[in-house]
Amino acid sequence: MDLTLAWLYPDSMSIYGDRGNVIALSRRAEWRAIDVNVWRLPKGERLDRVPDLLMFGGGQDREQRLIERDFLELKGETVREAVEQDVPVLAVCGGFQLLGHGYRDADGTSIQGLGLLDAETVAPAAKDKRCIGNIVVRTELGGDLVGFENHGGRTVLGPRARPLGRVLRGYGNNGRDGTEGARYRNCFGTYMHGSLLPKNPWFTDYLLLCALRRKYGPEVRLERLDDALELRAHEAALSRI
Amino acid sequence: MALRVALAAAAGRAAGTASRALGRGGGTTLPGLVARAIQPQVAGTLARCLAHGSILVSGTNGKTTTARLISAMLAAAGRRVVHNRAGANLMTGVTTALLDGPGDTGLFEIDEATLPAAIAELQPRLVVCLNLFRDQLDRYGELNTLGSKWAAALGQLPPQATVLLNSDDPLVASLGRGLACHVVHFGLDSPEHRLPEIQHAADSIYCPRCGTLLAFDAVYYGHLGHYGCPGCGFARPEAEFVATEVQLGLDRPTRFTLLPRPAASPSGIELATSLPGLYNVYNVTAAAAAALSMGIPAAALVNTVRAFSGAFGRTETVDIGGKRLRLLLAKNPVGFNEVIRTLLLDPEPLRLYVALNDRTADGEDVSWIWDVDLEQLAGHCERVIVGGTRAEDMAVRLKYAGFAPAALELVRDHRQAVRQLLQGTPEGRTAYAVPTYTAMLDLRRSLAALAAVQQFWED
Repeated sequence: MDLTLAWLYPDSMSIYGDRGNVIALSRRAEWRAIDVNVWRLPKGERLDRVPDLLMFGGGQDREQRLIERDFLELKGETVREAVEQDVPVLAVCGGFQLLGHGYRDADGTSIQGLGLLDAETVAPAAKDKRCIGNIVVRTELGGDLVGFENHGGRTVLGPRARPLGRVLRGYGNNGRDGTEGARYRNCFGTYMHGSLLPKNPWFTDYLLLCALRRKYGPEVRLERLDDALELRAHEAALSRI
Repeated sequence: MALRVALAAAAGRAAGTASRALGRGGGTTLPGLVARAIQPQVAGTLARCLAHGSILVSGTNGKTTTARLISAMLAAAGRRVVHNRAGANLMTGVTTALLDGPGDTGLFEIDEATLPAAIAELQPRLVVCLNLFRDQLDRYGELNTLGSKWAAALGQLPPQATVLLNSDDPLVASLGRGLACHVVHFGLDSPEHRLPEIQHAADSIYCPRCGTLLAFDAVYYGHLGHYGCPGCGFARPEAEFVATEVQLGLDRPTRFTLLPRPAASPSGIELATSLPGLYNVYNVTAAAAAALSMGIPAAALVNTVRAFSGAFGRTETVDIGGKRLRLLLAKNPVGFNEVIRTLLLDPEPLRLYVALNDRTADGEDVSWIWDVDLEQLAGHCERVIVGGTRAEDMAVRLKYAGFAPAALELVRDHRQAVRQLLQGTPEGRTAYAVPTYTAMLDLRRSLAALAAVQQFWED
């Protein structure tokens, strides 16, 4: 079996170790003799076919502005197609905002997103601090996620979006309503890095299994791996809160 | 006003004496804190008394090493230097150093976020801008925001001041445009040390002016190299101080030739340093350029550079019962990648202790280890011990970099980790410890019990 993993803007939207998510997916597939072809899509490259998995990390404000048009013109439509076809997508921080309706700055300027996730992000009010720290989230998928968040933007979900989970500790989407991230089909937006997937191996496998079943049929199973080290890292992150 | 400054200074000094007497450490910030509470402008007033003015050194990586080098060069030329040697690089630490005076030249390493305030308060004669890498976004914010703040602060410097910029760092080099002060540059010209491709950890690969992807002729490390913008024509400024003919060493000295342009010394200045790695070639070059810019004769540089053994914990070798442990500080992705490059100069299989902490001074976010190319070390290590407050995160990172999980030993106690590492190390071989900042401080404290390592506020 093999999978193509499309990695959007590996050079400019990968600010908080988002590469760790790509590494985690690749290794955990390799350890089960599944090949992962990482398809790097920097600015200027067109996403011209639907991949099996899609990763979109976060960037600094400037980088986010630099790729805004490129994303809508060269990648957006295929991302939409992929999501509607149940391709698993993980979008972190800036990537999450751009899969939502976008980002509205304090001075009224805005970055337009795809609107795939019904999530609207606004710049923090002058009195609001950045949301920074370790975070724990309880998901509906059957497990908790630990990570680290560092974002200024406040995201509010619309009626069409479900959250990825409820915040147990930390800020999440906006520090007020207890939601973290968003989900539509197999497309997940989140503010959690850390990196997210290495310390949450069950979620990594969930995304892999989604991709494999979509491609090879519902009977695909994933061989169990020894996750003792990953679970210790998960516990260690919990103990820092 | 003068009375209040004198009062503030006296109160600050008294606080430092009391702190040391009570065994509360070196008092590298408390005197400054107390004095500033009484008279906020005390640092500026004291700095104005320095006959040769002040030099500020800032940047993400290399501040402490570069400042210490400059300090040694100034001292070799007979200057009496007021210096925040212990690396307390916020205004409280700078103020403490000024209270400790006296001297004729101020030399201060300055935290990146503090540089604008330090420039405003101290009115420096020379500002050295080493590099800007992504580091602790939870503390410093985004790189370009920091760059804009530096640009605004440098813009306030008068024509008689000088700013020394790294021409190989696009963001730092871009700060020179439109300044009233004198601008000089340093850089590297060493084609044989080009990396085959730009590393994942590189930050400023888009033009700081127009946002176009920069074209690199050479990448030396991180985003440092020779570049140009195909979009707006922004080009790397020609450097007045160039390091060339670089020969890197680990157990033998690193050698290179410094060419000042226009040629003050046509054949160049031959320098040899025990500091390893290309990043230290940049540090030595910046220090030499700073000293030459301040009128220090070239003769004072050569011996100083040769004799310089490193700033605490950055790179130092400790002898423990006849076995050598080399400490190499790694605090951000680009710095860690350079440490890896340095480690790989050792032809033997490596014996390695990696200690990852997540305290405030390290950055509480440990995601950055996923931007480090640890894959390069897999297959080159015969023993790896992992420690620090986030040892498990580092262990997972190494597992995913290709290390066998069974070969990774998690040891919580630094002293125990070092003992275990050295146990099987043959005489004459070097083992390595790669700690983050606060792990380095802890590790040094632990080592003090095992070997003679000076407490840093004493050295």
